[in-house]
Amino acid sequence: MSSRDAILARLRDNRPDPAAHALPPVARLGDMDASRARFEKSLALLGGQVLAPQEGESLSAAIARRFADAKIICSAVPEFEGTVRIEELGTPQTAANVDVLVVRAPFGIAEMGSIFLSEAQLPTLNSAAHLTQHIVVILSESTLTANMHTAYIERPEFHTARYGVLMSGPSATADIQGVLVRGAQGVRTLSVWWEQ
Amino acid sequence: MKVKPVNHARAAEAFIKDTPHLTFHDERLWDLRQKRDQQMHELPEWQELRTLASQIKEHTLANLPEYLEQFEANAKKNGIHVHWAADGAEHNRIVGEILEKHGAKSLIKSKSMVTEECNMREYLEPRGVVVTETDLGERIQQLDNQMPSHIVVPAVHKLTPDVAKLFAEHYHTDPNDDDPQSLAWSQRLAARPVILAADAGMTGGNFVVAETGSFVVCTNEGNADLSATVPGLHIATLGIERLVPRMADLGVFVRMLSRSALGSPITQYTTHFRGPQDGSEMHVVLVDNGRSHRLGMEDFWTSLKCIRCGACMNTCPVYRRSGGLSYGAVYSGPIGAIIDPTFNERKYSTLPFASTMNGSCTNVCPVRINIHDQLYKWRRVLAEHHELPFVKREVMNMAGRLLGQPKLYRAAISGTETALGVLPRFALYNWLNPWGKNRELPHPVKQTFHSWYKQNRLKTKKKGEDA
Ligand code: SF4
Repeated sequence: MSSRDAILARLRDNRPDPAAHALPPVARLGDMDASRARFEKSLALLGGQVLAPQEGESLSAAIARRFADAKIICSAVPEFEGTVRIEELGTPQTAANVDVLVVRAPFGIAEMGSIFLSEAQLPTLNSAAHLTQHIVVILSESTLTANMHTAYIERPEFHTARYGVLMSGPSATADIQGVLVRGAQGVRTLSVWWEQ
Repeated sequence: MKVKPVNHARAAEAFIKDTPHLTFHDERLWDLRQKRDQQMHELPEWQELRTLASQIKEHTLANLPEYLEQFEANAKKNGIHVHWAADGAEHNRIVGEILEKHGAKSLIKSKSMVTEECNMREYLEPRGVVVTETDLGERIQQLDNQMPSHIVVPAVHKLTPDVAKLFAEHYHTDPNDDDPQSLAWSQRLAARPVILAADAGMTGGNFVVAETGSFVVCTNEGNADLSATVPGLHIATLGIERLVPRMADLGVFVRMLSRSALGSPITQYTTHFRGPQDGSEMHVVLVDNGRSHRLGMEDFWTSLKCIRCGACMNTCPVYRRSGGLSYGAVYSGPIGAIIDPTFNERKYSTLPFASTMNGSCTNVCPVRINIHDQLYKWRRVLAEHHELPFVKREVMNMAGRLLGQPKLYRAAISGTETALGVLPRFALYNWLNPWGKNRELPHPVKQTFHSWYKQNRLKTKKKGEDA
């Protein structure tokens, strides 16, 4: 017998009575506030930032101001040029030289300040979202969903994306003596730019 | 050769004597516990979430063969290669073969307790595969040749100078660097080139979704996503108990996992893998390694609900004061004490005694595992399988050495020279739990005690009547 069949057979022999353990209906609980204010508060808690325009500033002006030293700015959105397009990166080795990556998230989650990215937003190179030093995420207030329940119930991406990441602030660690360090091995900062 | 039981109390002695390490460890974990409480208080639905999580997990475990088949079918449809491993040896062989087929000589991996169970590094390295842990805490432990001492924060028993020393040795950084920020930066700089040059990447999986054939990885450092997406080959090691039926069930678990573990609302990364990237290959290895056997243990099968949040460890006074390494097992703390004996009853026979039975572990567990009840039941099993002096010694070890109150315990267990067999059951229970006599017990424990007492008193009475 294959290990597969042996494991399944043993589970069938050993399991508790399925009739005694019904599956509860899908839960939809908690605070249903899907506001921008709640999102921003959660985002700040997880170390993310809002890139706010100064006096009608454009996205590219705001990026130039915030990341003054950035040399390679990679764009994954049509309306922003950058110095290189994500499709042109080709390899992780090239993506590792990117200073700032600009992407658009299809939705955000107010409870967590999370944004979602998949292969649809990171054409040909999922690793670009983690190899870049900084990431700027364009997000529309109208796509905010209240919490994890509503996100999983409502968003089709969880059923269709082959790679789907919820990023909640930048990478972080507290593995050395409990000291929280923001900017561990993935992006060092994560900024949200609200779509007008 | 007969395997010797882990001498937990002895192993903890050195740790206890080292005041700076002990104090930090105790306070850091207690801080995590308090942060968890704060998060819990912000969610009025917390207890409801725990109940749902428990029900979903129990349902899934009772229907595990069907859900595993559903997962397998969906994952294959999405282009994932699915493998099954009965034990650690088979897991390692499968991974070794995949790597060999690809000519892969370097493997970068994120934290996975299942690969620790399997001793995978020890298997792969002599076969010419360089395995690099990319999680900072796990890497620190790898460089120090130690097991992770905690399932969420693997190097929590170390202080900054310990890390500086290790990094100086292996990364040639300043041995006097006392800044965690700059040490974390050294890890980033050291890891990047290894990640970019790696032939294969490996992750674990916190949740496995039958409905979609997905698996979900919850991490903070970004290393798991790098390990999964940079090389063209991603292997994921998944414990078969990690299944949930529906994608929408994840809401319940993701809302509690990081809140319970670290007191943060969510991990920085919650990543859903449903299939390989274009031009890449994805494999999952479904690992049993004793789980199907555990499912048949009437008193202990619910330990399979565990989502490995570590909350029971953070709250446990014995764990905080003995350090994870003293358990001598892959899993330490209260959850380790109830699952390790299912791997090797003799070797881990001492661990169920490493508890004060204060019930705090049960109270914080997000999936409502009755941890302290199971500790108790293990003591009973072990008392039946071992001689009296062993059990008595372990109770004394825990009490005296770890908690520094030997007198209290001597008093508590005085008069126990009587053979086990002639003790009434309730007295035996009390004796196995001396702590209960002297501590105010939280509600659930009290209840259990009363019901046990009642049950046993009634039994004794009945016996008396019969006779
Ligand atoms: S037993 Fe419960 S509290 Fe402990 S690690 Fe598992 S899920 Fe968390």
